[in-house]
Amino acid sequence: MSFTLYNYVLSGNCYKVRLMASLLKVSYEAVSVDFHPGKAHKQEPLLKLNPAGTLPVLVTADHEILTETQAMLVWLAQQYDVDNTWWPAHNQPQITGIMQWLAFASRLSATVGELRLHTMLNKPLDAAPTRAGAIKALRELESHLTEQRIHGHPWLAGSSPTIADIACFPYTALSPDANIEHDNYPAIRSWLHAVRCLDGFITMPGIFELHTLRNPAGADASPLSDTVA
Amino acid sequence: MTSHPVGLSGNLAPRQVMRATINQFDIAVWRSESGIISAWDNRCPHRGMRLSHGFVRGESLACAYHGWHYNCEGFCHYIPAHPELTPPKTVRPVIYSVIERHGLIWINPTAEARAHELPDNLIPLRTLTFECDENTALHAMSSTAQHAGESFEPGDTLSESPRIITVNTPAIANGIIIAFHQCAPHNVIAHVLVQNTLSSAAQIDVSRWLESVRRHAEANVSEYL
Repeated sequence: MSFTLYNYVLSGNCYKVRLMASLLKVSYEAVSVDFHPGKAHKQEPLLKLNPAGTLPVLVTADHEILTETQAMLVWLAQQYDVDNTWWPAHNQPQITGIMQWLAFASRLSATVGELRLHTMLNKPLDAAPTRAGAIKALRELESHLTEQRIHGHPWLAGSSPTIADIACFPYTALSPDANIEHDNYPAIRSWLHAVRCLDGFITMPGIFELHTLRNPAGADASPLSDTVA
Repeated sequence: MTSHPVGLSGNLAPRQVMRATINQFDIAVWRSESGIISAWDNRCPHRGMRLSHGFVRGESLACAYHGWHYNCEGFCHYIPAHPELTPPKTVRPVIYSVIERHGLIWINPTAEARAHELPDNLIPLRTLTFECDENTALHAMSSTAQHAGESFEPGDTLSESPRIITVNTPAIANGIIIAFHQCAPHNVIAHVLVQNTLSSAAQIDVSRWLESVRRHAEANVSEYL
């Protein structure tokens, strides 16, 4: 096995690593952690791996432990991206741009991500300033994507997708879980759509596949197709 | 009711759905694979699910709840749970009049949609939502010109409802138009159109100016934004 991922299915940050691995077509061992309601990530033996008590945790075959999601994306791309397009180390200006959005992704987690936990799992939080911070971050993203489009670049840091896009995708896509809809963010909508079109894209609860891409009218025409009409 | 510019045509690609609001009207706007645009009451006739959560398959919009398929005329033609059934013609959402002109999507929920005539050399730049009303946004445009040293200022009013204005700035003569869409009492959308010859750098200047106007307009509305 190439690496082990301590994982929680509803976490946007865990999904980020699963998505990157899927896009790079890497297999790994996923260990489910009882984040809610068990809070297993705040207890031994998980704290021994990651004293910060956060998820995900990535353990490499060499027993190296990574606890920061954005660093995991860099590690995955360095290890498995044979074409060097997701983390183009030879292209310094592009790397600078990617670093900018990797750091920005932490702001999305701290605002949209926290507000989502507050909305879905009642995490105690001062909601108003967190919501304002989330909207501010999404507006910055919207403006950047608009300017990228003016320059003819559909992606966050260049003309092809990089780990910057994957770092920012999950919590932007999940903002409706925090009661922030995408209606007011047209450039974000197009970009989310482009990410969902990538070869190897996978879903999580709250982030659906593009049903438009599946076969026309068939037995599975609805995402809730097992519901009785 | 007058026709409202609810969004930019370029922001609704084929096979995409968006949601628009015109006061009490909640509207699902979608574009088929071949490019046909439709605007319907945002409510599936079956169980009331918002159709803007739905997905486009070819020339149909499918509801996300039970997958009922509606064609471009609004008629339901396929129910996944009853594939042999021909649905009655009465299963149809309320249809609104929609047209596209000057790169904008115009909807009229109560009459035939019409577009305000604008110069032909304009292209849509972007859409920005303000968390305030139209007058506050307009006032912020004037006050940033007077107090914040912005070189942009509101010019002529081309239309009162919907409000469409020109914007003057020394570097770009007669080249910027803003079409407002007051979608709710404290929510206004500004669509910016610019000359099709404007450089990328100048387009970005216009875009950042409008963001600055929004910060000023919202300063008195929210203590956080």
